[in-house]
Amino acid sequence: MPATDRFREELLTTFRTFFAEAESKRRWNPYTDIPWDAVNREAPESLALCAETFMAVESFLPDYVSGAFSVIRESSLGQRWFTANWSYEELKHSIVLHEYLVRSGKRSEEALHDFHAQLMGRRWNVPFSTGRQMTLYAIFQEHATFLIYVRQEQVALAHGDRALAACYRFNARDECAHGRFYEAAARAYLEEDREGTLRDLALVAKGFRMPGVGIVPDYDRRIVTMREDAHIDRDLFLKKVFFPTLRRLNVTRQEIAAASAASRREAQDAGGTAATG
Amino acid sequence: MAPDDLLNLFRASVSEVVERDVPELSADSNIASMGIDSLQMLEIVGNLERELQISVPDDELVGIETVGQLLSLVQKKLPSGEAAPS
Repeated sequence: MPATDRFREELLTTFRTFFAEAESKRRWNPYTDIPWDAVNREAPESLALCAETFMAVESFLPDYVSGAFSVIRESSLGQRWFTANWSYEELKHSIVLHEYLVRSGKRSEEALHDFHAQLMGRRWNVPFSTGRQMTLYAIFQEHATFLIYVRQEQVALAHGDRALAACYRFNARDECAHGRFYEAAARAYLEEDREGTLRDLALVAKGFRMPGVGIVPDYDRRIVTMREDAHIDRDLFLKKVFFPTLRRLNVTRQEIAAASAASRREAQDAGGTAATG
Repeated sequence: MAPDDLLNLFRASVSEVVERDVPELSADSNIASMGIDSLQMLEIVGNLERELQISVPDDELVGIETVGQLLSLVQKKLPSGEAAPS
């Protein structure tokens, strides 16, 4: 469905507000705004492993950006401008975690160079095919990442590493802002086509997985460490990300369930028609 | 509602959502192990809510892992407040 003038205007207004706030309240410098002298070089390896994992996920930025532009390029100026700004902010997340790993002495520049090269031997593929679906996916992904970073900040503080805690705090603040932009876009999609957006929301909820799955080496082992350290699991995702997001979108889980059932029935009917046709 | 009736209602909803017959269930049956994902779980709960004319708050669904836990929660929402299936 092509975007309407109202949709485009709404997204542009939303972007302008987002960008003005980012410029005035949220800009930060990974080299000068982190208290690097407060890094705890004696912190356990698990902190470094988690930081390396998140850096690895953030390192697929070229794929995320090309994937995002491939699906929202025709949609609206607001979304294109947002994606360009989003890319800049996400880049800093990778930079600051790279800096932490080197400055903490947990990894050498050479080791990280090799790790980055290894990462780029793999590719992240866009998991959904439309701008609307990817916008809905991004809401959950950004808010889940926010939650993870907030938990990691607490872990870093518990280990006396104020530098790493600051890295996560700045990253988390960005992720939260990104999630809120995507929510605003989702509300605009809902206004344009509620039924179709609900179906896409059900599709995304069913197929959701974090972007690092399948592309970061040894991801499962890394995630076990992260979950154990930060106490993150599926229930926390439901409680802190999924249900609150639905509430902010003014969508009930009953609507999502009904949309999922409708899609399933359509697929059944199509299968039956194909079998008898 | 009798526990067996509730269990049968649950089984019928599962069968509809996962589009296959459901084997014997008990209160200890793990929902995820039955191949039911989070979204299907929400659909099943929605079916139970509609059939029984009850409402289950979202947050109370967090942490539900077994059939018995879910049906116990549903039972508590019924006007009669009957015991959960054993």
